[in-house]
Amino acid sequence: MDNLPTLLMIAWLLPLASFAVICIGYSVPQLLGLRVRYSTQKIASYIAVGAIVFGFLISAYCLFGIWLPEHPLAASSHHGEEQPDELAGQASPFRPTAFAEEHSEEGHKHATNGPPLYQAGDWYTLARFGSLKLTIGYYIDTLTIAMFCMVTLIASCIHIYAVGYMHDELHDVTDHEVTLSNGEHLHRRGRFQRFFQYFSLFSFSMLGICISGNLAMTFVFWELVGICSYFLIGFYIERHSASTAANKAFIVNRVGDFGMIIGLMALWSTLGTFSFGDVDKADGTKERGMFSMLHEQSNGYELAPTQRMIDFDASRQSEGSEPTNGQWLLFVAGVGIFCGCMGKSAQFPLHTWLPDAMEGPTPVSALVHSATMVAAGVFLVGRVYPIFTPEALLVIAVIGCITLFLAATIAITAVDIKRVLAYSTVSQLGFMMLALGLGGWVAGLFHLITHAFFKSLLFLCSGSVIHAVHSNDMRQMGGLRHKMPITAYTMLIGCLAIAGIGIPFVLGFSGFHSKDVIVEQAIHFGQTNGGYSWLFVVVPLAGALMTSFYMFRLWYMTFAGKPRDHHRYNHAHESPWVMAGPLVLLAVFAIGVGWTLPMQMPGVLSRLGVENLLDTARPVGQLGNKHGVLLPNLVIPDEHASHVAAVKIPAGWSAILVAVAGIAGATVVYLWEVISAASLRRYLNLLYHATWNKWWFDELYDFVFVRPTLAISRFIAFALDRGLIDSILHSFAWIYRGLAAVVAIVGDRWLIDNSVDTVAEKTWDLGLTLRSVQTGQLRQYVMFIVVCTIALFIVATLWWRFAVAG
Amino acid sequence: MFEFANPAVFLTWLVFLPAVVALVIAFLPLRGETIKWISLATTVVVFLMSLSMIFGWGSVKFQTGEEFAGMQNLFAIDWIPSFGIQYLMATDGISFPLIVLTAFLCVLAMGASWPIKKHEKAYCVLYLLLETGMLGVFCALDFFLFYVFWEVMLLPMYFLIGIWGGPRKEYAAIKFFLYTLFGSVLMLIAILMLYFNSDLRQLPADQLVATGVVSPHLEESVRQERVQNILNSDAPQHTFNILAMQYMGQHTDLFTTPNWLGQSLQWWAFVLLGIGFIIKVPSVPIHTWLPDAHVEAPTPISMILAGILLKMGGYGIIRICYPICPQAGFDLAYVVCAVGVVSMVYGAFAAMAQTDFKRLVAYSSVSHMGYVVLGLGVWSAVAGNDFNPEYWEMGMNGAMFQMIAHGISSAGMFFIVGVVYDRVHHRNLNEFGGLFAKMPVYSGLAVGIFFAALGLPGLCGFIGEVLVVLSVWNFSVALAVISAAVVILTAGYILWAVQRVYLGPEYKGPHGEALTPITFREFSIAAPLLAFAIYFGVNPQALLNYMTPSVNKTVVELTEWAKDNPSVTQSQQPATVATPIRPQIES
Repeated sequence: MDNLPTLLMIAWLLPLASFAVICIGYSVPQLLGLRVRYSTQKIASYIAVGAIVFGFLISAYCLFGIWLPEHPLAASSHHGEEQPDELAGQASPFRPTAFAEEHSEEGHKHATNGPPLYQAGDWYTLARFGSLKLTIGYYIDTLTIAMFCMVTLIASCIHIYAVGYMHDELHDVTDHEVTLSNGEHLHRRGRFQRFFQYFSLFSFSMLGICISGNLAMTFVFWELVGICSYFLIGFYIERHSASTAANKAFIVNRVGDFGMIIGLMALWSTLGTFSFGDVDKADGTKERGMFSMLHEQSNGYELAPTQRMIDFDASRQSEGSEPTNGQWLLFVAGVGIFCGCMGKSAQFPLHTWLPDAMEGPTPVSALVHSATMVAAGVFLVGRVYPIFTPEALLVIAVIGCITLFLAATIAITAVDIKRVLAYSTVSQLGFMMLALGLGGWVAGLFHLITHAFFKSLLFLCSGSVIHAVHSNDMRQMGGLRHKMPITAYTMLIGCLAIAGIGIPFVLGFSGFHSKDVIVEQAIHFGQTNGGYSWLFVVVPLAGALMTSFYMFRLWYMTFAGKPRDHHRYNHAHESPWVMAGPLVLLAVFAIGVGWTLPMQMPGVLSRLGVENLLDTARPVGQLGNKHGVLLPNLVIPDEHASHVAAVKIPAGWSAILVAVAGIAGATVVYLWEVISAASLRRYLNLLYHATWNKWWFDELYDFVFVRPTLAISRFIAFALDRGLIDSILHSFAWIYRGLAAVVAIVGDRWLIDNSVDTVAEKTWDLGLTLRSVQTGQLRQYVMFIVVCTIALFIVATLWWRFAVAG
Repeated sequence: MFEFANPAVFLTWLVFLPAVVALVIAFLPLRGETIKWISLATTVVVFLMSLSMIFGWGSVKFQTGEEFAGMQNLFAIDWIPSFGIQYLMATDGISFPLIVLTAFLCVLAMGASWPIKKHEKAYCVLYLLLETGMLGVFCALDFFLFYVFWEVMLLPMYFLIGIWGGPRKEYAAIKFFLYTLFGSVLMLIAILMLYFNSDLRQLPADQLVATGVVSPHLEESVRQERVQNILNSDAPQHTFNILAMQYMGQHTDLFTTPNWLGQSLQWWAFVLLGIGFIIKVPSVPIHTWLPDAHVEAPTPISMILAGILLKMGGYGIIRICYPICPQAGFDLAYVVCAVGVVSMVYGAFAAMAQTDFKRLVAYSSVSHMGYVVLGLGVWSAVAGNDFNPEYWEMGMNGAMFQMIAHGISSAGMFFIVGVVYDRVHHRNLNEFGGLFAKMPVYSGLAVGIFFAALGLPGLCGFIGEVLVVLSVWNFSVALAVISAAVVILTAGYILWAVQRVYLGPEYKGPHGEALTPITFREFSIAAPLLAFAIYFGVNPQALLNYMTPSVNKTVVELTEWAKDNPSVTQSQQPATVATPIRPQIES
């Protein structure tokens, strides 16, 4: 138990070490002007694969070797009704550590759960000011470990797959998508090692988010994940579309981060900490984390703003408005952080980057855009769940609901095989957000994990197809199951899993189980709130219908029917085992990861399954109905109560019905071609165009955000900066020079020079005049002397008399 | 003369060594390369001296820790006693990192000066004089001395831009000079205002020694005598001592006398000094010298300009404006922060529209230095939160960190631009592309340095920005939200520039054949910058350990002042101060 953080840290840091080794190891020869041989480049993949596989082994050991034996699983949450009895029988540490005392101040009774079992601590301090500190630390609960296992397992599969997929980069490459100015295609060196270098850094960043002990650290790795996706999406740096997609991904994510920073600021300024859990200090006391501050034990673990939040809210209150007692601040914080998740998890309205991100190589799409990076957003919502007020949860549910529907409609008409998957990812992430927003914490995260497996499987299968036919366009495929059976049937498994096929209440593909609990939660929400809240049931069911429709459309167009492009068909071949092997492994998980096994492991008392596992990690204060404060009628229902028969039975049947209906529809249109797709297109012309053009979001954003930003920047740079400010300066300069000229011409030349010249002239004139006195006659001179002497005498006398003597 | 354990000797050598070498060079019949080697050696020696303060290699040592928050290695020598002007220098956690940064960047910028072939001797002489000026500004604690160094720095800069610059060098040099001179004049007015209102008799005896008004190194009896002389004199004892002025600003009401337009003396002093320093930072709307000066200046001078000169503005605000004029600082905190936020937004927008690579980097400096001004100004320690100084400490430390981080990243970016400019002789962003294929190592370094400026975690820019931004919410929610929005714009212009220059299939401009991989000299300039960007990004404590005690001390002192003046700080109105009648005031 004590070595758990260390072990996970090793699993986390291994990919970083791999990154550093590859980065330095291959940069030094370049510095010396050498070229790295391709055979040497291949070693990079072994390093990266080794790091991540070893990471997986450690994570698996942590789960099965340490965590489970010490914290045996509780009863399955599928049987909520039976729980109390089972509970009584086990003194499992997994029971909510303390059920709150019932208290009836507000007329209704609360009974909610305490914090789950976790370990939290700090490894490293980035900065510290008084009681404020930014640290790198860990917060380990079941969710952390589950995510570690999921991420490392899938990343391992994708790493191995990529060794095969990227082998083109092991020799000089001719990029047919880049045409140079001389009309030739680009020739370049392969970049095999760089791909694995980024892959390792990416895995490191993602694991960093999973293990993160506080929001600041999460933000650090959040950004690192963003920049890694930038590098990976833009891996083909020569392609303009790739670098633009990379920029778009990063910038759209930054828009989300903007909201996230606001959320961080709100929490930081009023809580003074970013830690999730209570951190043990060296002196044995605990440093309180965010969760325990917001869910005071004395308050029955109910969510309540802290005193500082209430004060802060009050200090910013305008006159006459209703006091919200910090609820408003908490709402802003929650929605702010969710904005970041919207960016990472490609939720409406920030979903536009993800389909473009398919410009990267397919393993990147699989790793970055199905199982890890986009999962980060959902994971973070799950992680910081205790800070969300019911109103914030409603926002999450609404966003998720819109996203799942919009993306599903777009996926129906897309013809690029990867883009169909991209939109289906967006849609499925919408499902997860919806579940989380409606109070289904386990449901959302359960779907996150099952989805990660079948979506990475689907992406890798599509990569295998693309690898074989060198095209993304499904209209050029068809009948490929004869050529590549492993890919075709593993992909079929993926399709069945994502469609959610199974036998109600018995067994099904992984997606069946997770989608089922989402629908349960939605129906429970509808039952609790009534009215419009049934939209949260109808829309996801419609989304599920579309999901199974477009997934089977994809499968039929690609693998069934007759080949549409014989040239491509003839060249198609099954992928090598280094690629097919991971497909098979992932297919196994896509089938079974949702199951609850009746397994008796040493120390494990009850049945093993992802859902049960997650149930033990349920954050503090999430059992029992939660009532809104700003919206008093809003009730977020208790997730455990969603498993009762009154909810379970309609949910199970409706979910399976829509899934089957979707498949049937796709079969009718694309396999049997009873109704031709073309006639449907004509019939639903407007709708078709809307979805074909992705509801014009890119155009809208370009018009509303991008162009005005560029216009403003040009205005500032040229009109304001050089136009206005510099003009003012220059006009000062001109005025100054004008003044100087005035001084020089009027003052200097005209006034002063003129007067000086005048004096000179007059003097000259006087001299000329006086010259006539100079006669040379002595008599005349004597007379002047006499006259002057007398005049002087008179003047002197008068002066003496009147001026001096007074 | 070489007792380096004596701060007077050591700091004097540190500051004046470049000037001495400059003099020697000027009178020796040397040519070309030799002069550059000598100059480089000089800058290296200065850098090693500054490092020796960290490690204490037989010289004065810079101590870290809470108990060393105040001035260290202080020495005071009378210079013009009749006006109370001293040769007074010291270091603390605010100035010391900047001194090391200056010495460090001077070495790198000298290395970047190798391609300069015109009038090498004059160039090196001016360059070394500039270094003396910059180091002097950070060391000087006498206002007069400070001002002298401030001006000493100005002239070499003028010539370095005006002679070795690009096509519009005269315009840029004059613009730079006039702008800065305008600021200097305002500063001089403020200095004189403060000088003639200062009175050392109001200081307690121990402060007279602590601030260096009476040198602490004098013998006890002499010291006592001089202290008594000051305290017992009949006329006011004016001073230029910055530390003494700080004490007067915070503990006496010498500077609160009503002045012009109903504002107090310190309000006007703050405004005048503030404008002077903000021109240097520079902040909108008095920033337009910067793009022109940067674009026209040669690469090494751009590095110095962005890396060090801009920091003097921030240094002045934290060292002089706030501590000497706390009340004005409190009243004008919102203005200061707003100026910072406007600069952040404005600079980012302006950078986005540029097509000249160097101009883009120049505007990014305006944007990034906005964080500094914002962080310095967030006076969130008010009565409403029991004068909790922690968030302001965070903001000010963030601002200081941002200064160093920006010193590294902006110098790096200008050098990066210079490297390609030396090769292809143009900077049009739309005529680059594909540099990754031709200059892989260079491009890797460049992208690293640009991402440091972008504020990517793990690189130095992130820490400064995040500390500043997180501290703002408690001061003003509106400013906090706007400042957070800048992250989007920053990502926009930097990624777009990277895309246009480094990515893409081929180079689109002229002289493509000249794009050869970087030389060892260029590598050894860019690589240390990136290395430090990473080091400070991963281990910010390495830097914060030095600066935090002193910065926190500044914040705590100002908070104490606010606590002691509740009447002033609770009403947001500019102070209406009743002037206490003091018998000593001259009639």
